[in-house]
Amino acid sequence: MSTETIAGAAGVTRRQGLGILSSLRDGKGFDIVLVGVALCFLVALAGLPLIYNVVMSFQEVDMFNLGTFARPWVGFKNYIAVFAQPETWPILRNTVVFVVASIAGQFAIGFGLALFFTLKFPGASYLRGLFLVSWVMPGLVVGAIWNWILSGDFGVLNYALRSLGLISENIFWRSDTSFSLWAVIIANIWLGTAFNMILLSVGLAGIPKDLYEAAELDGATALQRFWTITLPMMRATIGAVISLGLIFTLQQFDLFAAITSGGPNNSSNVAQYKAWEMSFREYDFARGATISVLMILVVMIASVIYVRSTRHEVRG
Amino acid sequence: MTLTWRNRLLLTVALLLAALYLFPLYWMYVTSLKSGSEMFATPPTFLPTVPQWQTYVEVWTTKGMGNYMLNSLVIAFGTMTLTAVLGTGCAYVLARYRNFWVDVALFLILMLQVLPASLMITPIFVGFNQLGLLETPRLAVILALTAKTMPFFVVLVRATFMGVPQELEEAALVDGNSRIGAFWNIVLPLARNGILVSAILIFMQAFGEFVYSKSMIQAKELQPASVGLNSFMGPNTNEWNKIMAYATIYVTPILAAFVLLQRRIVSGLTSGALK
Repeated sequence: MSTETIAGAAGVTRRQGLGILSSLRDGKGFDIVLVGVALCFLVALAGLPLIYNVVMSFQEVDMFNLGTFARPWVGFKNYIAVFAQPETWPILRNTVVFVVASIAGQFAIGFGLALFFTLKFPGASYLRGLFLVSWVMPGLVVGAIWNWILSGDFGVLNYALRSLGLISENIFWRSDTSFSLWAVIIANIWLGTAFNMILLSVGLAGIPKDLYEAAELDGATALQRFWTITLPMMRATIGAVISLGLIFTLQQFDLFAAITSGGPNNSSNVAQYKAWEMSFREYDFARGATISVLMILVVMIASVIYVRSTRHEVRG
Repeated sequence: MTLTWRNRLLLTVALLLAALYLFPLYWMYVTSLKSGSEMFATPPTFLPTVPQWQTYVEVWTTKGMGNYMLNSLVIAFGTMTLTAVLGTGCAYVLARYRNFWVDVALFLILMLQVLPASLMITPIFVGFNQLGLLETPRLAVILALTAKTMPFFVVLVRATFMGVPQELEEAALVDGNSRIGAFWNIVLPLARNGILVSAILIFMQAFGEFVYSKSMIQAKELQPASVGLNSFMGPNTNEWNKIMAYATIYVTPILAAFVLLQRRIVSGLTSGALK
């Protein structure tokens, strides 16, 4: 109703002073300019590159034709070449492991912390907010710190694990091919846990308290209340948090650059890092674009799920 | 168990959890103050025996950090300003109307938010190269980064504008204000805090940006601190006390700003992130 009033008021003024200028100041033109400038910018700097990416993945791009638009079309040759590379499948496997393990770790720890902080005690909200420092730190600094913590001979993590009796010999997190991916996963779980926790806390705060009181009167145990009230009521939030986790995990680049650089021998490489390496290490922009197109499709599917689950939450 | 004992117990557990979680940060500060031999001690020392404050001065001068930090500031400030100028108006309109086209615009903006930078950099680099934008690499990074940060900014600020009572704007219009006048004098001041917090979040994000700068800025004197840190950390480095000193200098201003504004940042995030 109130939007109609504004549009109505704008309509009155438009009839008084005709012309584009007064519309800009008083009418729909004002709104259109505000949105239009921003959207034009986004289309030029995100939409066009997106299309250009798809175009390049069907072209042959080398150092000589990099500066021109007239490049030979090669059909699906780049796609075939990417899948014919022997390292492609291990890298895809790594990407799946990285995404699943990161999200599982961030979600489990984040949910545990969020549940803990729903217990009311003095300082709870301040301490909970403090966890978010991991989220505002530059990714490269986080990577540098974990690189040092995970160092093989002098790393403090190995020292802690040895002291606890969990390992007898040092683990060479960064240079052992069976641990290098996990080195990045550990750092990424640390990085994302706080964000998961904050979003899950918001969801938990939205559950009506009388549901729990009623269940308690009916004699439900804490575990039963968790399964029958908390989890079902959190379904939309959990969907949003997990799809956001997928989106953020697939954006993770800095930690790879700072901890393992995808090595040794691609054992910790993932698709989003490989796409960059293709373009900026091997200067094969066409194949870099090809991997990017494939990964962007995955991210977009995840974000459609995210948008749908947040819509659901707004209504319900 | 009385309520105070319960509170004390919970607070202790919470402090322990926070200490465990923030240990990496503590380890950065402690390592940065250790001497070259102490950092390799086994078992590691958890407090430096003799704090080596001069490491900071040494790293700052030998690594040319002043220049790196200046470039980071230029990129962060440019990105924040451009994002705020373009994004605020867009967020305002998207908060004021509810129709099909607003839904379409919101959906497009959300879609753009999710595009990973390391995947977008290939077409952006090639395109910017053709346009000659790589001649001014810091501007190129600001432009590319603004496209990346603006969707997030719009989502957060839109939530703020939705909290501004529409009746106030209508009253201003009835009183004879133009749309521009009502927006500038009534709506913007009321949404100021939300816009500021979101802008600071964008600033922090841009201050730590790495992918675009690493790919587009070749000249060392124009690179930001993240790229400088990356080149400092060679594959076989053992100067961890100096690297941690670099990291400390780089990250402490951000941490200070975060601790000061923590409540606002957390509430701004939680109000916008799920809408």
